[in-house]
Amino acid sequence: MNPMTVPVPRLPVGDSFDASIEWLRNRLEGFFDVLGAIIGACVEGLTSLLAHTSATQFTLLACAVIAVGLLRRGHLRPVGTAVAVWAGLYIAELAGGAATAAVGSMPAALFSSAMSLYQAEYVYPPLVLALLLLTALVVLSFTYGRGTRQELLAALTCVALFAITLAHFTLGVQLSLVVLPLFVLLAYMVVGWRVALFTVLGFLLIISMDKWENAMSSLALILVATGVAIVVSLPLGILAAYSDRFSTVVRPVLDFMQTLPAFVYLLPAVAFFSIGAVPGVIATVVFAMPPGVRLTELGIRQVDKELVEAGEAFGAPDWAILRRIQLPLALSTIMAGVNQIIMLSLSMVVIAGMVGAGGLGNDVYRGIAQGNVPVGFEGGIAVVVLAIYLDRLTAAITRFSPAGRAAAAAR
Amino acid sequence: MPAVRAENLYKVFGRRAAAAVEALSDGRHRDEIADLGVTAAVIDTSFEVEPGEIFVVMGLSGSGKSTLIRMLNGLLPPTSGTVEIDGTDITGLKKAELRKVRSEKVSMVFQHFALFPHRPVVENAAYALEVRGVPREERRAKALEALELVGLKDWEDKLPGQLSGGMQQRVGLARALAADTDIILMDEAFSALDPLIRRDMQTQLLELQASLGKTIVFITHDLNEAMRLGDRICVLRDGRVAQIGTAQEILDHPANDYVATFTEDVDRTRVLTASSVMVPAAHSAAPTDTPRAVLRAMREQGSDFCFVLDSDEHLLGAVSADDAEAAQKDGASDIAEAVKPVDETTAPSTVVADLFAAAARSERPLAVVDADARMLGVIPRAALLDGLAMEGSSS
Repeated sequence: MNPMTVPVPRLPVGDSFDASIEWLRNRLEGFFDVLGAIIGACVEGLTSLLAHTSATQFTLLACAVIAVGLLRRGHLRPVGTAVAVWAGLYIAELAGGAATAAVGSMPAALFSSAMSLYQAEYVYPPLVLALLLLTALVVLSFTYGRGTRQELLAALTCVALFAITLAHFTLGVQLSLVVLPLFVLLAYMVVGWRVALFTVLGFLLIISMDKWENAMSSLALILVATGVAIVVSLPLGILAAYSDRFSTVVRPVLDFMQTLPAFVYLLPAVAFFSIGAVPGVIATVVFAMPPGVRLTELGIRQVDKELVEAGEAFGAPDWAILRRIQLPLALSTIMAGVNQIIMLSLSMVVIAGMVGAGGLGNDVYRGIAQGNVPVGFEGGIAVVVLAIYLDRLTAAITRFSPAGRAAAAAR
Repeated sequence: MPAVRAENLYKVFGRRAAAAVEALSDGRHRDEIADLGVTAAVIDTSFEVEPGEIFVVMGLSGSGKSTLIRMLNGLLPPTSGTVEIDGTDITGLKKAELRKVRSEKVSMVFQHFALFPHRPVVENAAYALEVRGVPREERRAKALEALELVGLKDWEDKLPGQLSGGMQQRVGLARALAADTDIILMDEAFSALDPLIRRDMQTQLLELQASLGKTIVFITHDLNEAMRLGDRICVLRDGRVAQIGTAQEILDHPANDYVATFTEDVDRTRVLTASSVMVPAAHSAAPTDTPRAVLRAMREQGSDFCFVLDSDEHLLGAVSADDAEAAQKDGASDIAEAVKPVDETTAPSTVVADLFAAAARSERPLAVVDADARMLGVIPRAALLDGLAMEGSSS
């Protein structure tokens, strides 16, 4: 006797998914192209910044450090002016080579000593602009920050910049060793000496395994994916916190995004954005975003109702309550979400490597494909080092949030 | 025009609120309409709060007092009825207009302080001004002023978490004062504080009120607190008003058994004032009276002294029988020379508890004088005991 079979209609789930992807691709091709181009440019730019840092980028980094110091002391206007002038000049240079013309018209003697110091063959105009900005910021530090630690900060930054550029561009020390102290310094300032020590050892291990460039390109991919995920998940989380209905709709969607095997939407991502870093970023965003939304919602909902009521009772509009009360107090929870986003992004690195995103994922994938255990393992170890570094860093940033400071004060 | 006026206010939570209001307005108890699946928090409540008055809403938990106060500034829209602030009905206002009323006319102090933990004390105090868009320097100055009023000078840069509970609520009060609204709603503002600190805060509130003259709606579940602070008290029971009146009226004439059981626990000596227990002086003298006449009057009353008043009833002092006799022997034509100043007098608003010490020190009745030194009456020891005895008779 045959067991009785009940005829169950075959639903074309997969085909309709494919069809809807196709439909979307046809309708919104331009949008996806632009999106892909922007994400691609971001990853590329960040990779080159991290893995092939130029003298201009180093200088601008120094500018950023000094500018942040000035901004924390409340000198928004002079810093803004300096940066605006620099941006204007830079755009003029990009548009018509204005800076090149200006540099060309100046006497060569001005630049010859610097050129011989760095063994440069020509003067690179953006670098000149960056140096001008640096000078302006240093002058601002010494006028507005007289007698404060801002002076020290500016001086030390300039010394560090000089030492790094000299070591790398003149003496030829490899970039990884030159940049390493910066990562260590960041860890030391944000977390403490233990993590700084780990950073030294961990990153030296990466360098010794010759994985630095791949690690930096993975880091760039992770940072861009995290950025996109935050930009998308923050508003969704806020909406979900405000509307119960939206929250109940969005929750299963988030579950779906998180549990659907990543390979399944890697294919459509490739269909939209072709091979490369972009589908890797998109797949990573889809996978890593849910905790961002969830924790943003949780953080906002968890803010004491009486505080929100106090805002309302004094006549504050909703957006002011959100911006001035709810978001600052939810920030530590939101940062926990960001931390989760970064961790999940890291776990996606390998899968992104399969679609040609490059970086450490590529190493691991190559190790799998060729049965090459050493290559795969080394790539994996590098991912772990990056993961621990980023985790400790983002976990510690919570301390600087308003709610973190309030909690510390209450102790 | 009353500062706050509530008229036939209802707040019913649940889908079938309108049906519930209809049933409740027929006089049904809220437990009888449980089958409608609604919660009736406030039922048919009407009252008026006069400018400069402390109006206390007293009720146990679940009596609807928190819901009621939240309807007064529009945090909760009433199911039915109207709320008027300075003559404007706020129940029909648009969101933005309502926000304007809140920021300019009504501020609020919360039970658990509701301070923003991430902002320094001064920025908490300046919050209402910040919402109103007052420039930074000006709002800081005003906030510091308010902080000084509540005795928190030099704490402005601390975070709320670094302050004790009492100090935190002072910040809450300063935040409401800095807003400089005429009306302040206080939702169980002192309930979360220790008893001693609570008393301090009550005293401070009364002192501030004497100089600022705000209109205050104060919510509490503590009748002693209500009696101490309230010019008038509204007792809520199960969402309905049980009685509205002064502390004295509620003590002396409780509207029903429910209110009466409440008043049993009240320490009368802290509620009754000198003016309520004083009696008219049996006799008094003028400085121009002859010693003979004064002595005769004393003999008739069986007392050995007599208060001396001028023609406008101002208390000049007292004369004792011995001094009057001495004056008579000296052949004085009046008692003006024999008048001695009175050591101890009391104001009409002094609570009875504070009169015992003075009464114990002197055998003479205590003179009650107003701010212009006019004598209103006297309090013999017997009157003090009578005041206490009334407590026994009412329970």
